[in-house]
Amino acid sequence: MTETDAPVVLIVEDEPDVAETYQIWLQGSYDVRTAETGDAALAAVDDDVDVVLLDRMMPGMSGADVLSAIRSRGIDTRVAMVSAVDPDFDVVEMGFDEYVTKPPTRDGLLETIETLLDRAEQSEALQEYYSLVARRSALETEKTEAKLEDSEEYARLNERIDAQREEADETLGDMESDLEFVSAVRELSELTEDAAGEEGADQLGDEE
Amino acid sequence: MSSTYDVSGVLPGDELDELPPGTTVLISGPSLVGKRQIAIEMLAAGNGDGDGMLLVTTKTSAASILRDFERIQPEFDRNRVGLIDSSGTDDRDGIREVATEYVGSPGDLTGISIGTAKLTKRFADRGVANVRHGLVSISTLLQYLDVETVFKFLHIYTNRVESSGGFAVFTLDDDSHDQQTVNTLTGEFDGVVQLRETEEGAVEYRVRGFGRSPSRWTPLE
Repeated sequence: MTETDAPVVLIVEDEPDVAETYQIWLQGSYDVRTAETGDAALAAVDDDVDVVLLDRMMPGMSGADVLSAIRSRGIDTRVAMVSAVDPDFDVVEMGFDEYVTKPPTRDGLLETIETLLDRAEQSEALQEYYSLVARRSALETEKTEAKLEDSEEYARLNERIDAQREEADETLGDMESDLEFVSAVRELSELTEDAAGEEGADQLGDEE
Repeated sequence: MSSTYDVSGVLPGDELDELPPGTTVLISGPSLVGKRQIAIEMLAAGNGDGDGMLLVTTKTSAASILRDFERIQPEFDRNRVGLIDSSGTDDRDGIREVATEYVGSPGDLTGISIGTAKLTKRFADRGVANVRHGLVSISTLLQYLDVETVFKFLHIYTNRVESSGGFAVFTLDDDSHDQQTVNTLTGEFDGVVQLRETEEGAVEYRVRGFGRSPSRWTPLE
């Protein structure tokens, strides 16, 4: 994290007065950084940056190029595309986490940032939820159903699981949305890419 | 808005009939016991009702699944099926007329999610409100990814099915994984259809969850 502890937002925008408008809206709530070109954006982005607002159309490196460089470097950040062109499904395929139509309103921009900051909380919330469910499964594996019914620990655990599920689901956001759904799944994959590798694909039979 | 999902007739008993929007089902049981067949029948049951069907395959080719669908439903409407094939097989017989997305590996969850999102959008664009989702099988995902990741993916996927008022059926080999893994994953679904094989080789099933009292082991005819 940074010294101020406020979430870090990187604005990538080639028009200085547009960038300044965003900056005025965001300062106070966030630690704001700016970059005027794709190259400058790549120099400025690291794991400390929570959210990138990325202009799609820039001279030189395009927003899509910057995004794919961010993804291939495995930087832990969430990226919203800012564009005057109406969104199409390619936004999902390109790997953006959110989409902002240009020119954005102040509220629209802040809402997008908040959605992406929730997404940043997703990993921890889901991890905690998983740990609790795994602990419950361990109890279920060890004890009979009758014993579980009498167990205070089991009852408390179930309450914690329900509460944690709610918390995790809030970080997920609107899973009916294609963009948010893919973004939530991508968040999982980014964490496991190193771990997964090629070790699977053995001969477990699930063919029927 | 979506309406209920009728799966009556798939199981010999009347344990499962009209399921409310958002319902997620796990079919679990040992290998080669017929889980995939039940999953496919639950999906195909909606074809006559105008439901869309969206199936992710991990080991079986989309083309082979399509043949299964057509065996079950001779009047099968190909316009309402979408397949996401991550099996890596080359079998593409007759698949050209069907919306299919290919994903490089069952471990590529982002690819799978993009494929399903594309095909859901296609259904939405055509005004198909009810979508039946399937994934066969979770066991293949567990060969590529750790149980934590698979659990989280299933949580996200079932959440999507709930928020969109869909229906989903997944399969899991319960003899390929330890009991704790099976319990952990089973909890993510509204209910489970468990299958087992008797010593005489007959297949039995029982239904648990769905807010109903659990059923007894019954022969699957």
